[in-house]
Amino acid sequence: MLRVRRLSLKYPNGKLALADFDLEVRAGELVIVLGGNGSGKTTLLRCIVRTLAPTSGEVWVSETQLTHLDGEKLRRARLELAMISQHAALVKRRSVLANVATGSLGRHDSLRTELGGFPPEELVAAQGCLGQVGLAELGIQRAGTLSGGQAQRVSIARALAQRPRVLLADEPVASLDPEAAEEIMRLLRRLAVEGNLAVLCVLHQVDLAYSYADRIVGIRDGRKIFDDPPAELPREAVRHLYLDRAA
Amino acid sequence: MTAGTEAGSPIVTAARGWGAPAAHALRMVLILIGVLVVAQSFWMVEAKPQDLITGIFGMADFIRRATPPDFSRLDAAIWPTLETVDIAIFGTFMGVIMAVPLALMAAANVTPARWVYFVARGIIGFARAVPDLVWALLFVTAVGLGPFPGGLALAVHSIGMLGRLFAETIEQMDMAPVDALTLTGARRIQIFTHAVVPSLLPSFLGISLYRLDENIRSSLVLGFVGAGGIGFQLLTYMNLFDYRKVSLYLIITFVLVLSAERFSAVLRQKLA
Repeated sequence: MLRVRRLSLKYPNGKLALADFDLEVRAGELVIVLGGNGSGKTTLLRCIVRTLAPTSGEVWVSETQLTHLDGEKLRRARLELAMISQHAALVKRRSVLANVATGSLGRHDSLRTELGGFPPEELVAAQGCLGQVGLAELGIQRAGTLSGGQAQRVSIARALAQRPRVLLADEPVASLDPEAAEEIMRLLRRLAVEGNLAVLCVLHQVDLAYSYADRIVGIRDGRKIFDDPPAELPREAVRHLYLDRAA
Repeated sequence: MTAGTEAGSPIVTAARGWGAPAAHALRMVLILIGVLVVAQSFWMVEAKPQDLITGIFGMADFIRRATPPDFSRLDAAIWPTLETVDIAIFGTFMGVIMAVPLALMAAANVTPARWVYFVARGIIGFARAVPDLVWALLFVTAVGLGPFPGGLALAVHSIGMLGRLFAETIEQMDMAPVDALTLTGARRIQIFTHAVVPSLLPSFLGISLYRLDENIRSSLVLGFVGAGGIGFQLLTYMNLFDYRKVSLYLIITFVLVLSAERFSAVLRQKLA
């Protein structure tokens, strides 16, 4: 579903942030990327959604190659890709349901959506997405009143309202307590399996990666170090990811 | 006060080493300058306490002649009162209309270009620097006597405060939802109406209501320069020595200012 081929990003100062990175995430699969600070894991996600332009390489979502697109074509291609990040980034003054429904805006260009409204059927769909993340009863509440874990689940519901094929998550549990973090990971796992989504998730927590990933990808200095199912991946290899950085 | 006691304590003085005497001398000089500044203001305004004492009789005379307030003409006061309030509403509304685009240009994070930023900041600063009474005088000259020049004066003067506060609100806006919506594939206009407007609108309304409260107070005195409303009535009855009507209008002013303040505060609280 998501295929990354020899993706590289070289900064103007010569530093190689990503080097010939290959990666594939199939539908229904949860792949977790581990790596130290500055290893290039966030850069990888940003190159995939094209908030950073890679120097070379290809990013395929289904049958579309993203790296050469821009403007309207890029906007359309991005509809297939949903992204959640460390902070839920909700509009705090609006209702939870409205926040979820904003995920659907990319599909519409009616005057109603331009004036701040939603097509009625999208509100119904948004309610369904809220149900999928287990917050069906919170729709009318203001987004600013949610707890961190709830807000993150709402941001996932917003991503679902986009009806993506690929879900990218950039440290989605970094600012949550352990219990809320487990809940988010269970949710991502379930969405991958039941929603047949390709989920690519960047994490810091090695234990969470072992518990929830179908495959764990290790990244260091912009290079892929390993790409294995947790059962076949020795903890030692993961530890090296963080230890050898000084060398 | 706190700084003084700190400098006096031996520990602090010792810690500061040889710099302490210099700092002490500097502080004495600053205090001396402060005293001189205040003293010269007394001389400049020709403050004479004895005048204040003899003036008490003048005040007492005014109060005696102003009581009881002439409530028989309350009905005639309704129109100027409405005019005062409407000048403020008009001024605030027009001020907001003009301040929003200026603020968008004067907010460092969304301004289309550096020079636009400086021009917009310049206009906003100028609107604020010129007092509303002066704007009123200018507009009376331009469009004649009446409430219209008063409304224009408030509108232009309001741009100064509204533009600056709006721009600050835009600069402090949380950009995360905007970035998130960009990634969902939403169009720019949708991002604006769905993420930017809902984040800014409550603050903008709050600031505007606060301005309305200030404008009602300003609008009261605009009449002094012929720009309509209660101020014009006050001036007229002062000149006619009809102090019982003057006191009526002072009471109306008092009620109006207090209720505008309450109204604005309550509404702003609801918005927060």
